[in-house]
Amino acid sequence: MLLVALVACVAAIVPGPRWPRIWLACMVVGTGSILAAAVAVFAGAPDWEWWSAVRVGGERLHLRLDGLSAWFMALLGLVGGLGAIYARGYWPDDAHADSAARGRLWWGVMILSMGFVLLSSNGLHFLIAWELFALSGFFLITLDRQRREIRAAGWLYLAASHAGTLCLFAFFAALAGRTGSWELGPMRAHPELGPLFWLAFAGFAVKAGLFPLHIWLPSAHANAPSHVSALMSGVAIKMGVYGLIRFSGWLPTPAAVGWTITGIGAATALLGIALALAQNDLKRLLAYCSVENVGIIAVGLGGGLLGAADGDAGWGRLLLAGALLHVWNHGLFKALLFFAAGSVLHATGTREMSRLGGLWRSMPWTAVLFTIGAMAVSGLPPLNGFVSEWMIYLGLFDVVAGRSPAAWAAMPAVLMLALAGALALAAFVKAGAVVFLGAPRTRVAAEAHECGGSMRGAMVVLAAGCLAIGLAPAVFWPAAGRAVAAWNPPWAAGAPPAPLPTLGLANAVLVTLALAAGAGLWASARARGLRRSLTWDCGYASPAARMQYTGGAMAAIAVGWFGWIFGAERRQRRPRGPFPAGAHRIERMPEAVLERLIGPVAGAVMQVAGAARQLQHGRLQYYLVYLAGGLTALGTLVLVGEMK
Amino acid sequence: MSTLLDILLRLTLWILLAPLLPGIINQVKAWVAGRRGPPVLQLYYDLSRLWRKSVVMSTLASPGFVAGPAVAWVALVGAAILLPIGPFGGGLSFKGDVILLVYLLAVARFCTTWAAMETGSAFEGMGAAREVSYAVLTEAALITAILALSVESGSVALDRMLALSAGTGAVLLAAGLFAVLLAENCRVPFDDPNTHLELTMIHEVMVLDHSGPPLAVILHGAALKLLLFAVLLSEAVLPMGRMSPLAATAALVGAVGAVTIGVGLVESLLARFAFRRVPLLLTIAFLLCLFALLLAWKGGPA
Repeated sequence: MLLVALVACVAAIVPGPRWPRIWLACMVVGTGSILAAAVAVFAGAPDWEWWSAVRVGGERLHLRLDGLSAWFMALLGLVGGLGAIYARGYWPDDAHADSAARGRLWWGVMILSMGFVLLSSNGLHFLIAWELFALSGFFLITLDRQRREIRAAGWLYLAASHAGTLCLFAFFAALAGRTGSWELGPMRAHPELGPLFWLAFAGFAVKAGLFPLHIWLPSAHANAPSHVSALMSGVAIKMGVYGLIRFSGWLPTPAAVGWTITGIGAATALLGIALALAQNDLKRLLAYCSVENVGIIAVGLGGGLLGAADGDAGWGRLLLAGALLHVWNHGLFKALLFFAAGSVLHATGTREMSRLGGLWRSMPWTAVLFTIGAMAVSGLPPLNGFVSEWMIYLGLFDVVAGRSPAAWAAMPAVLMLALAGALALAAFVKAGAVVFLGAPRTRVAAEAHECGGSMRGAMVVLAAGCLAIGLAPAVFWPAAGRAVAAWNPPWAAGAPPAPLPTLGLANAVLVTLALAAGAGLWASARARGLRRSLTWDCGYASPAARMQYTGGAMAAIAVGWFGWIFGAERRQRRPRGPFPAGAHRIERMPEAVLERLIGPVAGAVMQVAGAARQLQHGRLQYYLVYLAGGLTALGTLVLVGEMK
Repeated sequence: MSTLLDILLRLTLWILLAPLLPGIINQVKAWVAGRRGPPVLQLYYDLSRLWRKSVVMSTLASPGFVAGPAVAWVALVGAAILLPIGPFGGGLSFKGDVILLVYLLAVARFCTTWAAMETGSAFEGMGAAREVSYAVLTEAALITAILALSVESGSVALDRMLALSAGTGAVLLAAGLFAVLLAENCRVPFDDPNTHLELTMIHEVMVLDHSGPPLAVILHGAALKLLLFAVLLSEAVLPMGRMSPLAATAALVGAVGAVTIGVGLVESLLARFAFRRVPLLLTIAFLLCLFALLLAWKGGPA
């Protein structure tokens, strides 16, 4: 199956740039077989291991498909394939003559390299695949390289990504040095390897976008073409999560790791969503929301680690399974939301929410699908986001109710998750309402058009996935159980430690009743006579589009509570005098970590480097002086050394 | 079959009793002010009259304007079904139902604010913004209270969590949850349900453009939510599980009545707070619940 995937993906890469149809067919076959391979593992096929006969870079290729890899492979296959279908409508050749071909090429490379990252069981090849994956991400982000901010976002991504890769280089090299081989696998019996996990943690946390290493994520995800944003947000950052889960399972982790990951995860969730709420750019909002969701996943993973350390199978298993399920769920609904945002961008040419509004009339499909995504991402029942958040909550509550020492991590985490959940709801009511409801705020919004069939189809599949996991969570338990067992073999098998079938039933009843009530009320309103009239609004004679509440105003209250953390900037000129001429108010939420911390440090480094450049001026006399000075210094050093 | 019958019975009870509470509150307010006041059953008349009326909808609104209140009402009814009624236990009790309950309330909030934003009115946007923002703090307080109950009972299922009293922290928890009740149901001092124009700030402002059956559904949902919080508060504080069924029922009815009268008295004696003080008050409610949690933790196994 994987061979088919490999062949199809390679087949897509080679002729892809020239023939879009062949590319699409090959991509669909390739990603479909990736998905099928993963499903085969869930259906009970044994783990698959394979060593190549030829050596690459002095090492034999070692691929391994176990429950955990298959879990991420399934997501890769689904989002990768749907993204390819979506791209056909979103980034066609006639609109993007030069970049569409490049996009197809790098899309294939990215899918293939991510697949190798997931399968690779050799440190060297893992790094090679990782690097290829990072690079293809860079080329995909900067597809439209005419625009300055896109190039800047690409560079920032590349720099951050390489900072992470540096940590991984150190990690794998040190690991190979200690064990004497690049081969990877369970190494729990070597407690001396434990501290190395911190290196891996730093490297993978950059990719996953954990606070405060998320700096690259918002601009990269916002500026990339939307199908790329969906792949980056839905799958690529999950590679970081995969690394964290994989190596926390294989390595003997220090005791502090569980506490650290839980703590950072909870902080990431809260700060990520608070920043998301503050955004006025639709895709940037979604990007920050990805930061939040990675935080939620990290809370689950950290809890799983605490559970493994505690020796308690119940809640640890629940938390890890919740984290894994959230990986899928976030992949589904975030890809859906980015696709919907892309379709808005495609129709109106802007991501600025304050220029949109009233799109439900011209884009009913996108509006409904975005609403489903928004409800899922806010963790509302009956959709999938609720199921995984419910599992994580339940695990944390079990910790607290059992009064284990880990409760001191669990209680704050529950609180942060609750705050993050409520803020997510606020952020997505704001996003959905400002973009799709009310009156169009500009001409472009009024003249929007619905997206094409391929884009719509991709979104419908994702929305159906969101609903399916919400309605039948128990169906997905065996797969999650397999992945959990791959992480920690003693936790293998067993019924879910949570009443998933009951929750599924409750969700199904809720959907049925909600549909019935909605239709019933609509029918009863129609039966009693339904008149259309201007918005009443306490008696306005002619409400105008510009009188509507803006996204910034909607978020202002809650964002104000976080202003002191992020240092919100505000410039305003109040109207003065009886005939005020001009007044404005501009609020901006800076990228606190980037602008206040990394920016100055990088600036200082550049200044030092600039000063050092003064030494290079091409005058021979001075070079001779340098030479003499250097020789003297060396001589002195040698002399001093001999005297000792 | 008997489970289904049980749930239907609960449904009827919740739906029929809910509109009574606002009537009682209005009676208390009238009594304190020395007026005669509207009849206790006024809301029932209002609902039946609204149900027969025709609907005027904004030209900007999508069908979601009508579907929103319907879904919100279903979510509230679902939450009510999950909540155990004193000695009769929960309608559909399972581990983790308490989290579903909290999130069903969130579904209702999502739909209400969504429907409010349909009209494109700045006024309703204001209400929606306040609703979702203050919900952040009330949800924090509510989840802390649930943590306290969970620590006290060692369980994550509502029927066991609410069977015991909240122990030593019961008083703190009662105060905290009462504040949450006032905020979530938009009563004084957070909001004023009496006014309909500038002074109404959160809930009423979001439903300005609704009329006819959708408005009836919204009003009924609001009454249901009030009853739900009153029952939750009573059961969290009273040790229901230790009483005989009859005593527990009486205690529950008495406590819900006391909470309702308390809401009426607060409304009569207090003015609405300035808006910048609302977060402060909610933070105090959160801190009360937090202290209740710490007390429960210190109190040792239940």
